[in-house]
Amino acid sequence: MFGIDDPGIWLAYLLAFACLIFSVGYGIVFWNKDNKNEKEEEE
Amino acid sequence: MSTLTLGIIVIVYIFILAWLGWMGYKRTKNSSDYLLGDRKINPMIMALSYGATFISTSAIVGFGGVAATFGMGIQWLCALNMFMGVIVAFIFFGQKTRRLGVKHDARTFPQLMGLHYNSPLIKQICAGVVFVGMPLYAAVVMKGGAVFIEQVFDMDMNIALFIFTVVVAIYVITGGIKGVLYTDALQGIIMFVSLLFILIWFYKIMDMGFIEANRNLTNIAHLVPDRLKEVGHQGWTAMPVTGSPQWYTLVTSLIMGVGIGCLAQPQLVVRFMMVENGKQLNRGILIGCIFIFFTVGSIYHVGAMSNLFFLKTEGMIASELVNDIDRIIPYYIDKAMPSWFGAIFMLCMLSASMSTLSAQFHTMGAAFGADAFPKLGRSKNPNSTMGVRIGVLISIIVSYIICYALSASIIARGTALFMGVCAATFLPAYFCSLYCKWVTKEGALASISIGAVSSLFAMLFLHKAEAAPIGLCKALFGRDVLIEAYPWPMIDPLLFALPLSVIAIIVVSLMTKKRP
Repeated sequence: MFGIDDPGIWLAYLLAFACLIFSVGYGIVFWNKDNKNEKEEEE
Repeated sequence: MSTLTLGIIVIVYIFILAWLGWMGYKRTKNSSDYLLGDRKINPMIMALSYGATFISTSAIVGFGGVAATFGMGIQWLCALNMFMGVIVAFIFFGQKTRRLGVKHDARTFPQLMGLHYNSPLIKQICAGVVFVGMPLYAAVVMKGGAVFIEQVFDMDMNIALFIFTVVVAIYVITGGIKGVLYTDALQGIIMFVSLLFILIWFYKIMDMGFIEANRNLTNIAHLVPDRLKEVGHQGWTAMPVTGSPQWYTLVTSLIMGVGIGCLAQPQLVVRFMMVENGKQLNRGILIGCIFIFFTVGSIYHVGAMSNLFFLKTEGMIASELVNDIDRIIPYYIDKAMPSWFGAIFMLCMLSASMSTLSAQFHTMGAAFGADAFPKLGRSKNPNSTMGVRIGVLISIIVSYIICYALSASIIARGTALFMGVCAATFLPAYFCSLYCKWVTKEGALASISIGAVSSLFAMLFLHKAEAAPIGLCKALFGRDVLIEAYPWPMIDPLLFALPLSVIAIIVVSLMTKKRP
């Protein structure tokens, strides 16, 4: 994968790319959403 | 670019930092502002500060040089910085930490621990570990920044160190956490832009794509020098041989040490308490991950790839061209990048040092003035910031002295030392404060104490990288480490101390009464 034979290396790149995609998606989805527990605490 | 031009650029940069520090000063009215920014810090600024604090010069030049010499295995550091240091930290630790901080009105990490477990002793021990351990880490960063200034301006090291320290001290002491955060945000942007540019420029000058370049790097594995093969090197796109010295260093100290240690760094944890609500932290995840991916991810990747560049231009791989690992990246910048980029990279390095250092000074100052001696400077005004400012000044002086007093070999281990001590000392009690209501004050105290003591023991008597330069084991027992059989001297102290700390918190909590 990625032109790299050793899975010990391309797994690191895969994890980094996955984290990047996750963080972008998570940030967009939860940009204006408060945590559920916080709302309960405020109430 | 001439020294005069570089000097003018640095002076302009320092003036901007001074202005940002001044803004922090004007907006700091009381100790809550000085320590936490009154819990109303903009999430973009908080996340940029988190990333910039996390990434120091050693991460860029030091680990970039490791990537150039040993290959892409170091990318696990980037991946774990993102996964553990941002995603896990913000989602599973940050949200609850922020709420716990509000609940207890805690303004520092030691206060958070002490108030949650209802134990002034826990607060004092945590503050003590920060104030005793962090100066060594700060000394590493100070040394790195001063060495860089010395090289760029051909300046005496003592003068470089003095100027560097004074500049950071001024905006931390006057501006408090707001001064630190505003300057961190600027420094984070400089780091992001310059390191991203390095990545893009590499592919432009090599005229090859991502996958093609990776394949080309794989194909030169036969050029690994014999001296590096002996420690486990198998090529720049392969992990070291399992069980080899390089493998143990990569996996136990770097991957596990940083991957776990980053969760319990007081100067990072406190940033979770600076924002107003949970959605601010959610925004911080996006910014934090993008920052780390394109800063350290870029330089580690280009570091490994620099071997292709040097082979093409000079017929040699990086480690044969440049003997000192720490000088490979600066050499690459000098040879591969446009001449005007040298100034940008200089600002990037200064920014990386200063952003990490300012957070350390502020955290140490808080540990001294707000935790260890909370009444300092507050006899007339309980909201006075004088005590913490005095604490920051004392921390700076102590770190400055350490920078001179200790040998380079010990100072070079400072980052790993501090991360490991924090993880073993703080992580079990910190995690349990967020998730385990059954943990008792006595259990937390046992964990923190045993974590600190066992870390220290492992560094002094078991882990050769620290035990040998310190020399206490040699003086007492006539050998560098107590257990000389391989691989014990190679295993990071964290792997001894953290399990003991975890066992302590579980066993002692079960043996003692539940908290009311």
